[in-house]
This record gives sequence, C-alpha cells and structure tokens, in this order.
Amino acid sequence: MSGIDAVRKIVETEGQARRIVDEAKVRAQQILSQSSQEAEMLRQEALSSAQKQREEILRMAKEKAEAEARQSDVETEQLLKNYRKLAEARRDDAVSKALELVLSG
Amino acid sequence: MNRVSELLDKLHNRILSDAKLKADETIREAQAKADQTIAEARQRAQREADELLAKAKLEAEAVRRNILSSKVRANRLRILDEKNRIVQEVLGAVEEKLSNIAKSSRFGETAQRFVAEAVKAVDSDQPVVRLGFKGSSKQNLDNVSKVLPKGSKLVFEEDPVDGLGGVVASDAEGRVTFNNSFRSRLERLDSQLLRLIASTIFGE
Repeated sequence: MSGIDAVRKIVETEGQARRIVDEAKVRAQQILSQSSQEAEMLRQEALSSAQKQREEILRMAKEKAEAEARQSDVETEQLLKNYRKLAEARRDDAVSKALELVLSG
Repeated sequence: MNRVSELLDKLHNRILSDAKLKADETIREAQAKADQTIAEARQRAQREADELLAKAKLEAEAVRRNILSSKVRANRLRILDEKNRIVQEVLGAVEEKLSNIAKSSRFGETAQRFVAEAVKAVDSDQPVVRLGFKGSSKQNLDNVSKVLPKGSKLVFEEDPVDGLGGVVASDAEGRVTFNNSFRSRLERLDSQLLRLIASTIFGE
C-alpha cells in the first residue's frame, strides 16, 4: 500500500466516522423533538380529561342544587298549606282577639 | 508493508469505534433529556389538571350555593307574603266588624268609653267632641252625652270618622286634638295587633 493509499483510507474512515456522529446527532434531535411533542400531548390529554371532569363536577353540582331547590319548593308548599289550614281554623279567634284589643286597648 | 497495513486497520477501527462511542453517548444523552422532559411534562400536566379540578370544585360549590340561596330566598318571601296576606285578611275582617259596630250590643258602651278617653286626653273645660259611626243615629248615641263635662260640645257626623268610625275630641280652640277613631286606634296598636294575630294563627 502506498502512502497515498494509506492517507486516502484514513480520510475515508474519518468521513465515515463523521457520518456516524452526524447521524447520531440527527437521531438525538429527533428524540428530543418527539419528546417535546409527547410532552405537549401529555399536557393536552391531562387538561382535556380534567376539563371533562370539571364539566361533570359542575353538572352534578347543578343537578344536586336543583334537586335540593325542588325539595325546598315541596317543603314550602307544605308549609303554605299548613298556614292556610291554621288560618282557616283560627281566623275567627284571631279576629275576635284583635277586635277586643282595638276596642279595649 | 504488512505492518503498515495492520496499523492502518487498527487506526481505522479505532476511529470508527470512537465515532460510535460518541454517537451512542449523544443518543443516550438525548434519550435521558427526553425522558426528563416527559417526566417533567407529566408532573406539570398533573399539577395543572389538579389545579383545574380544585377550581372546578370551588366553582361547583358556588353554583350550588347560588341556586339554593336564590330558591331559599324566594321561598322565604313566598312564606312571608302568605303570612302577611293572612294577617291582612284578618285585619280586613276586624275593620269590617269595627265599621259595623253600631249594630252590636256593645256599641253604646264602646262609644261612651271612646268619648270619655278622648275627653280625658284633651283635658279641656270646653271640649268639642265629634263622633260618627256607620249606621248609628243620634238616638243610639244619646248615652254619650252622659260622660261629657258641662260646657262640652257634641257634634254628630253623618259619615263615619276616618272611614271606619270613631271619636275625635279637641279643645275649644282646636289646639289640642285626640283622635280616637278606629283607624287611629288600629294605627296606634299596629305592632301589637300584628303580634297578636300572628301568635293566634301561627302560634309564633
């Protein structure tokens, strides 16, 4: 092997080595880029899931409150009914006592 | 010659081996950085999701409170309105009875007492007493003059005093007046009447 051949072989080998290193850099860049995408995807998935849970929490709270409000309406109706019954039963007594107060008070 | 070739092979292998080592190291570093990025992103995403959910729970409680408090307030108002309606109805019946008192057996005694109270309140030697009740006549008010001091002036009104009937006394100059009409008595006794009616009907 001549000296020139030897130098050529070394130059070729160094070129090959540079390609190996450059390819690794490209691959490394891809890995980092993929990881950024994956990270963003993870964030989006987590937020989207949390958003759905938020809507569910709000929906349930609203439903529960509306059920409690309906119950309050039922209790109020019952109370009003009782007051009307009491008024019917005690009206004359109330009128008579009030009249007595006005006349004698 | 073989020796040179052998050295060249070794150098070739060494250069490639170093390059592969460097490439492996580059990829390992990138992978480690990627793993860290993903782990950090996962933690951050979890934190953001937790914050969003914590906020949602507070929001939900506020929504619940808002719906319930509006309803409770509205229902309290309905109850108050109904109680007020009932009390006003009783007061209406009382007014009706008062305006028709001339038909009752207590009329003479009541009119006398009202006049006596009014005259006493005015405390004048020459009081002027005006009285007027629905459906009353001068005849059934004759007894009233018995409780008046000498020098009094008695005026029978054609219409009921203050709409419901009653007595108004004043001194001769009209400086001191005592209104003893049913309307005035109802106003003076307003809070007592409301309490009495509410306690009688609602037991409060």
